[in-house]
Amino acid sequence: MLFPRVGRKQPAIRIAWWLVVAFLCLGITLHLFPFYFMLITSFKSGEEVLQFPPTWWPQEPTLAGWRLVVSLVHGANTAASTLMDGPFWVFFLNSVHITFWVLVLGIPITSLAAYANSKLQSGPLARWSFLFFIGTLMMPAALTLIPNYLLTRNFPFALPEVPEIPGTDIEFPSVRIWDTHWAVILPIVFQAFNFLLFKGFFDTIPDSVIQAARVDGGSEFNIFRRIVLPMSVPVYAVAIWGAFSGAWDQFLWPLIVLQTPEKMPASVEIYLLLQRFTQAGSMNAEQATAQAQQMQEILSAGMSWNGLMVLGILQSLPVFIAFIVCREYLLRGIRLRGLK
Amino acid sequence: MARIDVEQVVKRYAAERIIDTESAKARPALNGVSLHVAEGETVSVVGSSGCGKSTLLKVVAGLEYPDSGRVLYNGADVTFVRPQERGVGMVFQDYALYPSMKGEGNLAYYFEVHDRSEEEKEQRVRETAERMGVGFEHLLGRVPTTLSGGEQQRVAIGRCIVRDPQLFLMDEPISNLDAKLREQTRVEIRRLLRKFGITTLYVTHDQQEAIFMGDRIAVMRDGVIEQIGTFDELYYTPVNLFVATFIGSPPMTVFPAYVSSGVVTVPDTDASWQLPYQLATELPLGPVRVGVRPEGWVLDTPDAVGIRVRHVERIPTERASFIYGNLGPANVVVAAPVDYPERAEVRLTPDWDRAYFFAADGEQPLHVPGVLELF
Repeated sequence: MLFPRVGRKQPAIRIAWWLVVAFLCLGITLHLFPFYFMLITSFKSGEEVLQFPPTWWPQEPTLAGWRLVVSLVHGANTAASTLMDGPFWVFFLNSVHITFWVLVLGIPITSLAAYANSKLQSGPLARWSFLFFIGTLMMPAALTLIPNYLLTRNFPFALPEVPEIPGTDIEFPSVRIWDTHWAVILPIVFQAFNFLLFKGFFDTIPDSVIQAARVDGGSEFNIFRRIVLPMSVPVYAVAIWGAFSGAWDQFLWPLIVLQTPEKMPASVEIYLLLQRFTQAGSMNAEQATAQAQQMQEILSAGMSWNGLMVLGILQSLPVFIAFIVCREYLLRGIRLRGLK
Repeated sequence: MARIDVEQVVKRYAAERIIDTESAKARPALNGVSLHVAEGETVSVVGSSGCGKSTLLKVVAGLEYPDSGRVLYNGADVTFVRPQERGVGMVFQDYALYPSMKGEGNLAYYFEVHDRSEEEKEQRVRETAERMGVGFEHLLGRVPTTLSGGEQQRVAIGRCIVRDPQLFLMDEPISNLDAKLREQTRVEIRRLLRKFGITTLYVTHDQQEAIFMGDRIAVMRDGVIEQIGTFDELYYTPVNLFVATFIGSPPMTVFPAYVSSGVVTVPDTDASWQLPYQLATELPLGPVRVGVRPEGWVLDTPDAVGIRVRHVERIPTERASFIYGNLGPANVVVAAPVDYPERAEVRLTPDWDRAYFFAADGEQPLHVPGVLELF
C-alpha cells in the first residue's frame, strides 16, 4: 500500500494520491497505445495507412487486411506468397513447436533444479550451485551469442572446428543441432530467472513439512508431486507465462541459428516479410519490372501495413490469451513474490 | 513398539556459509550422545535452545545422519536407514501439516504412499478419529489453514498415530500453543501416550512439561546429555551444578561460601551458619558453593541470617508464596506459606538435610541430599 488508509482526507495526501493515479494512467496509456495503433491500422485501407498525418480512427474501416491475412495463412494468396517462404500457418506451427518444447522441458527442469537446490542440497554445496546458476543471469546475452552459436555448430564443442582425438585423424563425436528447432529450444530450457523465482518460493516452504512427509514414507518425488506442487501453482503460473512469452517472442536467436526459411518461427517471419515488403530491391531491369508487377498485385489485393498489423496481432494474441487464462494465478504469484 | 539405543552419536552440521566462521566450527550439535529408551517408555529430553535436543530427535528419526555413532531399533542398526523405512511417527513444533490437503488427506497420506487399499485407509482414519476423541471428526474435512493452532496440533498427532508407529517422536509439540490450550493438550498427549504405551521421545524446553510427560528425563547441554533419570533423581542427586540449577522452578539459589571447622560463612556478607556434625566432617575445608532450593530454607530460626525482601510472589494453588531477596551477589528465592506476613526482612537458615554443596571452581557436587525417602 503506497498510501496509508488513515488521513486520506488531508489535502496534501489527496493531491499526491491523484497525482499518482494520473501518473499510472499515463503509464497505462503509453503501454497500450502501440496495441491500439496496431489494431486500428489493421482496419485501415492500404492508402490510409500511408497517409500523413496518421489518422486516429480508420475513416473507411475495411477488412481487406484481415481477409488478406486469412488467405496468407492458408497459403492461397499467390501474389503475396512470392514474398513468403510458405503458407503462414507453417511459421505459426514452428512457433508452437518451439514454445511447446521450451515449456515441456524447461519448466520441469528449472523447477526440479530449484527444488533440489532449496530442499535436498545443504551446506556450501547448495550455496555454490545457487551462485553458479544465478551467475548466469549476470552474463549479458550479447556476450554469449557467439559461443552459443559455435556450440550449435558442433554441439559439445564451442569451437569452429571439431577437434581431433589426439594421435588420430578421427574427430570427436559431435552433434550438429544448427538449423534445427533444437538449437532454439535447448539454450533456453534452463532459465536462471525462473530458477530464482522457484527457489525463492520453495525456500518459504518449511523444512518440517518435507520432513513430516519423509517420516510418513513419501519418496522424494512423491513429496514433490503431492505436497510441494499443489502449493506452488501460482509460482508455476508466473514461470510458465514468463517462459511462454519469452519463447514465443524470441527473435534474434532463431534468426541467427535457423537457416532454412521454412523453419522460422512466426516472430521472425513477420519481420522478414516486413523487410522484403519495404526493401524489395532488384538486380536488373527485368527483375525490377517483374517485382513492380508483383508489388502492384499485392497492393491491389490490399497487402500493406494493415496486413502486417494483422499478423502482429495474431502473433501477440497467444501471449494475451495465456495471460487472461491464468490471470488470477499470475496476480497471486506476482503478489507472492513481489516481482515484475 | 521398539527399544531405542543411541550410541555415542556425533553430529556436526555443515556450515551454511561459504566461508566457515570460527564459531560455526567450534562445537558439534551432538557430541557423543548415548541414550537408551526401553520398550514403551517415555523419555523427555529437556534443555535450553541450541543444546542439540532437536538434532537428537532428527538423528533418531533418520532426518539427519550422524557423523559417527549408531542408532539401534530393537538392537538392529538403523543409523543410515532412510526415514521413510523406519516406521516412526513424528510431531513437529510448527505442526507441519500438508497445506494442500484437508485433515483427512493429511492422515491418509501414509496409506497413499504405501499403496494400501482404500478401505483400510478409511477404516484407520475412522479409528483414529475415535481414539482422538470428541470433535476430531469435523477437523478432518477442513484445510489446515482454517484450523486454530490447537486443532492443527490435534490433526498432526492424529497423523502420527494413524499408522501405529513403533516410535513416537515429539519435537516441542505444544510450545506454540497458548497457555490454556497447552495445559489441555499436554493432558491429552499424556493420556494418549499412556493408552498406547508407545516408546516416545519427547523434546521440550519446558521442564514442567518434561516432568509431566516423561518416565525419565534427559537433561542436555551443548550437545551432551548431562544426566538421565527420574525427576527425583535429577532433583535430589544432580550430577553437576548445571543439572541442579536447571531442574526446579524457581531455580536453586547458589552462593559462594567458605567452610571452616563446622562453620559456613558467606564472604562479603555477615552471614554464617553452624553446620551439623556429620556434614561438617564430610565436607572439605575451604571455599565451596552452596545450593539451596526454595523449599530448602528454614525461616526464623535462632542462628538465622537476615535478608532484605525484594518482592513476594503468591501462588495460591500451591499454597505457597515465594520471597525474593539477595544474599551477597546471589539471588535468593524462599518458599514460604501463602499466609506468611509481609515484612521488610526475613531471617533464613538453610535446611542442611536439603542443601547441596558444589566445588568452588568446578561443577562437580561435593554433597547432595539424596532422594528423600518419604515412606
